[in-house]
Amino acid sequence: MIQADLNIILPEIVLALYAMGALVAAVYTGKDRFAGALIWLTAGLMAVLAAWIGITGEGTNVAFGGMFHDDGFARFAKVAILLSGAAVLVMGQDFMAKRDMMKFEYPILVALSAVGMMMMVSAGDLMALYMGLELQSLSLYVVAAMRRDSVRSTEAGLKYFVLGALSSGLLLYGASLVYGYAGTTLFSGIIAAAGEGQAPLGLLFGLVFVMAGLAFKVSAVPFHMWTPDVYEGSPTPVTAFFATAPKMAAMGLLARVLHDAFGGVSADWGQVLALLSLLSMFLGAVAAIGQTNIKRLMAYSSIAHMGYALMGLAAGTAFGVQAMLVYMAIYVTMNVGTFAFILSMERDGQPVTDIASLNQYAKAFPGRALAMLVLLFSLAGVPPLVGFFGKLYVLRAAYEAGLAWLAVAGVIASVIGAFYYLRIVYFMYFGEEGETLDRGTAPVSLVFLMASAVIMVVGVVNLFGIETAAQAAAAALVN
Amino acid sequence: MSLFFIVALPFFGALLPGLMNAAGRSACAGVTFTVSLAAFIGLLTNLPSVLAGDVLTARIDWMPSLGLNFTLMLDGLGFFFAFLILGIGLLIIAYARHYLSRDDNMGEFFTYLLLFQGAMVGIVLSDNILLLLVFWELTSLSSFLLIGYWKHLPEGRQGARMALAVTGMGGLAMIAGMLMLGQIAGSYDLSVILENRALIQTDPLYTPALVLILLGCFTKSAQFPFHFWLPHAMAAPTPVSAYLHSATMVKAGIFLMARMWPVLSGTPEWFVIVTTAGLVTMVLGAVIALFKHDLKALLAFSTVSHLGLITMLLGTGTAFGAMAAMFHILNHATFKAALFMSAGIIDHETHTRDIRRLGGLRRLMPVTFVIATLAALSMAGIPFLNGFLSKEMMLEEATHTVLFGTPWLVPALAISGSLFSAAYCFRLIGHTFFGPVRDDYPSNPHDPGPGLWLPPSILVTLVVVIGMAPFLAEPFVKLVTASVLGNAAELPKAYFKIWHGLVPALFMSVAAVVGGLLVMVVFTPLLRLWETTPRPEAKAIFDALVATAVRLARGLILPLHNGAFTRYAAIGAITIVAAGFHAWKTGTVAPPTREVQAAGPVLVAGWLMLVAATGGLVFMHRNRFFSLILIGIVGLMVSIGFIFFSAPDLAMTQFTVEVVTIILLLLALNFLPKRTPMESSVLRRVRDAGVAAIGGLATFTLAYHYLLRDAVGTPISEFHLANSYKGGGGTNVVNVILVDFRGFDTYGEIIVLGIAALLIYALTETLLGGRVRARLLNRKPDQQRAGEMHPMMMVVLTRVIMPLVLMVGFYIFLRGHNEPGGGFIAGLIVSIAVVMQYMASGFAWASARLKYPYHGVIGAGVLIAGLTGIGSWFVGKPFLTSDFTYVRIPPFEKFELATAALFDLGVFLAVVGAVMLSLESFSRLARRAHMPESEHPMDIDPSRDDPPHLETGPAREGA
Repeated sequence: MIQADLNIILPEIVLALYAMGALVAAVYTGKDRFAGALIWLTAGLMAVLAAWIGITGEGTNVAFGGMFHDDGFARFAKVAILLSGAAVLVMGQDFMAKRDMMKFEYPILVALSAVGMMMMVSAGDLMALYMGLELQSLSLYVVAAMRRDSVRSTEAGLKYFVLGALSSGLLLYGASLVYGYAGTTLFSGIIAAAGEGQAPLGLLFGLVFVMAGLAFKVSAVPFHMWTPDVYEGSPTPVTAFFATAPKMAAMGLLARVLHDAFGGVSADWGQVLALLSLLSMFLGAVAAIGQTNIKRLMAYSSIAHMGYALMGLAAGTAFGVQAMLVYMAIYVTMNVGTFAFILSMERDGQPVTDIASLNQYAKAFPGRALAMLVLLFSLAGVPPLVGFFGKLYVLRAAYEAGLAWLAVAGVIASVIGAFYYLRIVYFMYFGEEGETLDRGTAPVSLVFLMASAVIMVVGVVNLFGIETAAQAAAAALVN
Repeated sequence: MSLFFIVALPFFGALLPGLMNAAGRSACAGVTFTVSLAAFIGLLTNLPSVLAGDVLTARIDWMPSLGLNFTLMLDGLGFFFAFLILGIGLLIIAYARHYLSRDDNMGEFFTYLLLFQGAMVGIVLSDNILLLLVFWELTSLSSFLLIGYWKHLPEGRQGARMALAVTGMGGLAMIAGMLMLGQIAGSYDLSVILENRALIQTDPLYTPALVLILLGCFTKSAQFPFHFWLPHAMAAPTPVSAYLHSATMVKAGIFLMARMWPVLSGTPEWFVIVTTAGLVTMVLGAVIALFKHDLKALLAFSTVSHLGLITMLLGTGTAFGAMAAMFHILNHATFKAALFMSAGIIDHETHTRDIRRLGGLRRLMPVTFVIATLAALSMAGIPFLNGFLSKEMMLEEATHTVLFGTPWLVPALAISGSLFSAAYCFRLIGHTFFGPVRDDYPSNPHDPGPGLWLPPSILVTLVVVIGMAPFLAEPFVKLVTASVLGNAAELPKAYFKIWHGLVPALFMSVAAVVGGLLVMVVFTPLLRLWETTPRPEAKAIFDALVATAVRLARGLILPLHNGAFTRYAAIGAITIVAAGFHAWKTGTVAPPTREVQAAGPVLVAGWLMLVAATGGLVFMHRNRFFSLILIGIVGLMVSIGFIFFSAPDLAMTQFTVEVVTIILLLLALNFLPKRTPMESSVLRRVRDAGVAAIGGLATFTLAYHYLLRDAVGTPISEFHLANSYKGGGGTNVVNVILVDFRGFDTYGEIIVLGIAALLIYALTETLLGGRVRARLLNRKPDQQRAGEMHPMMMVVLTRVIMPLVLMVGFYIFLRGHNEPGGGFIAGLIVSIAVVMQYMASGFAWASARLKYPYHGVIGAGVLIAGLTGIGSWFVGKPFLTSDFTYVRIPPFEKFELATAALFDLGVFLAVVGAVMLSLESFSRLARRAHMPESEHPMDIDPSRDDPPHLETGPAREGA
């Protein structure tokens, strides 16, 4: 029996064992000298695992008495997590090497957090949920503060840790309430205890706390405070990581808990999500307007994007989950590209994050500027780029679930949000004459920038078929 | 040709110019021209069926789950616009070939142009509104690239930004409107939507949908109040201005209004919004155009004005109005494109577009003069040119339109619009071509080659032909009008004629032309008046709006996100309290089910102490030792509280934990300043106090509320109480929970405890190896040390106590399973006993007598606990299942043996090890700091003859 269980979590085991093995091996041998190789190795392994999960995974497999679910939904999220994690790892290598930040712990911590994330999206039990979440978060706390000689980085790490711990506390409190009133930590038991329509008061309390804890992780307003500071303070490769895989994992986990454990009372949590979504979209859009630092801007942008993804989830339907998954997949791809660009921003060898430094960028680097233009338009949700389809999906999901007001608000927020994306475009194409940025020598990030821009354009044809995958995933989750 | 090909050709063709760039400018333009021509011919092949009144459709499913299908439709309206786009496109391409200089990258230009062309054709042929949106934004995107083509011109920047911001945001707003429309109609296919007039107009979402869609249309077609961006986009190369900003892109909004006419028009909302916007735009544009000196700016505002005219016609909601609008679109496209190209020629030849620097070109550029004059006169509404005909129809329609209940408003505004329109046309002709030949043109002007003048002359020929023989255009315009109207209205009977008899429209027309001439007579004083009148500058307003938005956003966000944790905490706390308050106010509150208990004097005394200690802590926390003492009191009161609530276990745990933590903190304080410096301002502290008070009150209210009510569900403790003895073999439920029910949990906890201790050890180790070491070595204690390091009384006392305490610990450990106690508490008690030894007799003395390293103790504890757990595997039970039995070893009484006790031993060891290891780590710091450490356990030992102290030595000896 244990054999069968272990088989189901084999990908997680492989990654976890790899991380521990690599840690020990690196400590006793070359340490930081192997950092470069380890980054490539980790990224390669993650990509292979993604392919393995994506290609061979089939059906719904439950392990450890329901604590771990391997279904279409989990696989969709895992593939997205692993691929984006691998991409971000490789992308930041050049940046880190230049700034003397090549620590062998970095890829290992990322791998461990990936294990946590895989656990999160597969969780079928509050324990498994918490375990995955903490494994992920603890790794991320360390990674955020990786630049120990930088005040900003350590501050970011500390802030992330304190607020993250607070959110974990909220989540745990909620989980214990849920356990207390449902009598079980298994999602399958909780959903039976919660019943249909209106959840018992005690469970509702627990649910709200669990949601608040998870809202911290997806940085939904009003639990978003950490995001701008952490994004700005962390080393850029780390920020890129924060903006991609963990967001997907947290969203996946949220969807998992809400549908698997509280699927019968979707009206109860739908309204909470709708409010979170509304606040996130507007705060993200409005706050980004005044930003001058592109990393901080991307933080607010991510808050707004999470608002849209939550809108899909708030619909409470299978279509809503599908919309959320499509949205997240597109969002992650766009962010990989955008951060690849930010990683390549430097002047005199020093990283620059000031938006004004992009003045006249298009003149110096027309190709990159065009790619970035495509990405920014896509982030703004301008048709016909792929970003628009993500928005369209969530808007329709919300509309069809009777949340017309939310859909309209979402569009208005996107109109506001367009302003700051277009401002960057404006700077790049029509900014004042001034000192331009360096050419940079990071072929890898350039490749990712171009690739994700091309995806934004070519994906228009059929979104690379993720629609059907997302549909299957959503069907696996919602029933 | 299939509709797909017509749309796809420009897109695929867009790849070619870039490839042909190396082959030369003509090849580049040639391939572009061929692609456009192919699409144009493809369109024409469908002419017969369109003329027959058929609606051609083509469909591919694209993303059916989104309702987004690649559905194309060709009817009269679509054909008309596609014809304009492709036809004028061909002329523009030919013109651009000669217009662009050698330095310009022609491949890039034509690529963008074809992209734009494809998008425009896509808009007018779309049958799916989502698809239409896609093409709609694609035009914004490609037009942005085209406007930005001349990146080196500084004035182009601002224009591009405004164009992008305004049309982009308008387009996004339209998405919302389209989504609503599709949701109301139940389909995103235009052919379905257009059939559902009644359904849509009665829906409550009609008005928001209308407003949002019109936002998109108005921004795209530069209608008031969004008219300002168009003139600023004129920095683009002239072919772009001619194509985008007169003939095609700005007509997209008009097209959409025409397309949606059957379902959206006819309601009061539509009438008021559209007609008003159109009228205001028409007059405003004409007035501003009159006083512009830049030829292209003049034309730009005249375009704005004419678009307003068309919008106004569509707004009236009558079939005649729609027909006039369609006719004027045709006429405007011909004369305005010709004028733009003429302006481009003048710019190209004289190197200036400033009217004030021109004049007398009639003799120098006769061909251009003829073309421009004919086109301008048509625009002014002079008979025998096509502009006259449609303007006449507009005036006719205006006389029948009653806006805001005043019948004269629309005609009066229409006349004034026409008047200014005529005036700027005359100014354009007069100030550019007439007058004396100057000798200070920036460049020597002469007529260009046919490549530049041929395209506009073709258009002007059309202007004249339609103007002379309007019946030629009539069937076509009527066909287009019929498809605009759909089945919402009857096709009007009116005929296109130059002479309608002495109708009011004719008088109005004459009045406008005469008035225009009069304005020209008094132009110089008028201009002076205009220039002295303060008026809102659109660009300044836009900039101010942007700046205000940025400032507002900053003002809103910076106070929220200033990076300070305290602020985040305050915001979070207030938000939560506010949400709770809202829930409490709006929700229903059940009546209390429990009685409030009376508080006895002891309770009140304890409570007062607790409050006093907490309050004192708040006020005196800057003195760290003092605050530590107060914390101790708080802990004590909490422990007593546990006893009061009959939880001796918790109380014991709390007591011991308190003691250990206070000791640890005391040790840590050794290395810290004695006082916390004050950093916050008074205001800040008042704010924090307020937030804290609110939070405390909220917590109190919540707790009070719940204490007065029974639990919603059965508490889990019922289960524990019922199963404690049966399942765990112990009557002390707390201990059974710890070692049995939640044994796994405890197991995890002792591991964590061990890790924490090891971490403290590792950290101090690292610290001592680094820079801290030097700091410690140089550290001067900020307070006088006590003379007696190891007071004899204390040493003696602790040694006496030691075995007693160990005994107590052992006792507590053993009774744990059934009576208050257990491994955890016992561990803490033993730790305290050992800590006392350290404190009294010194580190060196105490550690010399401890044989077992604490690492090992922790490890042993964890191992024992783990092995106990594993033991249950051997009997086929899950990990950590406990068992117990009763044994009797004479001469003792019968007693119970439980595996849980073994587990508890592990807990005990781990706790002792962890506490001691962290303690040891701290004292290592102290030792490095060279704190005086006597070699003896007691400073004064009667059994030992100490040599006299060194510091007193020499003086005494001398004495």
